[in-house]
Amino acid sequence: MSLSLSAVTVTRGHGQTLTPVLRDFNAKFVPGEVTALVGPSGSGKSTLLAVAGALLSPDSGAVDLDGTDITRLSDRERTRLRRARIGYMFQTGNLLSALTATEQLLAATYVAGEGTRRHHARAVTALEEVGLGDRLKHRPDQLSGGERQRVALARALFLDPRLLLVDEPTAAVDRSQADAIAELITDRTRAHDCVTLVATHDPTVIASADTVINLDAAP
Amino acid sequence: MFLALREIRAARGRFLLMGLVVMLVAALVGIVSGFTTGLGNDTVSALRALPATHVAFATGAKSDQFNRSLVDEATVSRWRQRPGVEAAPLGVTITRGTTDRGLEIDMAAFGVEPGTFPAPPVRRGTGLDAVHPGLVVSGKLASDGVRVGDVVTVDRLGLKLPVTGVTDDLSYGHVPTAYLPLDTWRAIRFGIPGTRTAADQLPRDASGVALRAKAGADLAAADRALGTLTLPMSKVLEAAPGYKGERVTMSSIQVFLYLIAPLLVGAFFAVWTVQRAPELALLRAIGASRRRLLSYTVLQAALVVVAGTIAGGALALATGLLLGAAVPFSLPAGTLLATLGAVALVGLAGTCLTLRRVTTPDPLTMLGASR
Repeated sequence: MSLSLSAVTVTRGHGQTLTPVLRDFNAKFVPGEVTALVGPSGSGKSTLLAVAGALLSPDSGAVDLDGTDITRLSDRERTRLRRARIGYMFQTGNLLSALTATEQLLAATYVAGEGTRRHHARAVTALEEVGLGDRLKHRPDQLSGGERQRVALARALFLDPRLLLVDEPTAAVDRSQADAIAELITDRTRAHDCVTLVATHDPTVIASADTVINLDAAP
Repeated sequence: MFLALREIRAARGRFLLMGLVVMLVAALVGIVSGFTTGLGNDTVSALRALPATHVAFATGAKSDQFNRSLVDEATVSRWRQRPGVEAAPLGVTITRGTTDRGLEIDMAAFGVEPGTFPAPPVRRGTGLDAVHPGLVVSGKLASDGVRVGDVVTVDRLGLKLPVTGVTDDLSYGHVPTAYLPLDTWRAIRFGIPGTRTAADQLPRDASGVALRAKAGADLAAADRALGTLTLPMSKVLEAAPGYKGERVTMSSIQVFLYLIAPLLVGAFFAVWTVQRAPELALLRAIGASRRRLLSYTVLQAALVVVAGTIAGGALALATGLLLGAAVPFSLPAGTLLATLGAVALVGLAGTCLTLRRVTTPDPLTMLGASR
């Protein structure tokens, strides 16, 4: 597994308001390691996640995931890539309000067209691994902020992705929960041997990362 | 199915409400359909039962032909001589009478020549007899209490007619039919109240000529030669009093309901889609294809629309049973299924109006990049 970005440029706006968000960005990421993307708001952290996660095509440059330049893929191919090889954990709104914690994980298999019943036991195990063995049948509104993020992490990793993208995972949780989530992200990254990129302002998450990229300082 | 059912379970209040609305619309369409069929039967079932392909009327009668048209005996004879056509005179008039047991009845008197094809089949008793004139009454009159053996005195004329038989539940212009020999019919149609006119003094006319035309029979040429206006049975039905007006009224109500149903369902799913736009964006972000989002949304709509429609159909049927014979309501299985099928289809069509919105949420909105 490898992920590399070469000369990636993303601009926003039109005409006079055209603003570069990422300019000739280059980086290579290693499996089993957590990379923290830091920088002030607007520095391009989330944009970088979007480009790496096949949610946004850059204006120029290449994003190589396991030998495939994903910037050249069609919309349908990028959708397929996202569900098969990339796990997402967003800042908020990660969970589907109608589903229990277990069903959130099964939704990933439903989206992948794999059916859900035969994955039930594995979903229970995955939730136990993130410390939610006693919250299997709880819906999002019955979970705390930290618990919701744990479910989101478990779902992001449920189909064993090669790339885990995490956007401000601790922004909406208290300090003790934030520490636990930061530790869990590192732990699960090692266990799944995936490339993990985390956009964050949180010093705890930054401290637990293997590599830190400061986008404000990027050329 | 996985996501569709769980979302319905989680938002069961909203879906139940929508299902109830669909149910009420389907019930209303079913009830209107039942009245349309029932009223139609009540108006023209006797004409529908007539084993004829056409009826020839006098040319001067442009509407309400059974009342206005009079065709003389010579014309009937000449129609009988036309090749490829079987012809028989038919007289239609609405009258009243009272049975010897004091039961007052309205009846659509259908005058036919006994033994000709317009003569009705008999379920009980005996058929029409030219020598011993009597009445073969509709099953509806039998349900009202008229029995074989009763003697009906025709109001104002004092004409006494024994009931000899009972035929099917037929009626004309919302009045149950009573079949009688054509000569007797002429006595009712042309008789002067309070007097007894000898049969040979009465006009030898009928309302029209019932025709059974074989393929290729030149009816237009016959009309030109005989001075008649021949109408196919579909047009003959419109000659029944009130039939066309009823059909237009009831059909207009149905059309409006068919227009309202998709708008209601469409409006619900439009709001529902807007409400869950963030979740649709999440599903797109984690790799759900547009087709998957569409399929589970359509499945949700189908479940609500089909369940609501079936419940509405049951409600319409129950209403029909509750009304019983008090009103002209008829909802045969075929009509009910066709009606409910149409409601379900237009309901789903309403959902389709909102489907574009299901696929448009941008997965990028899940990231802080666009916040």
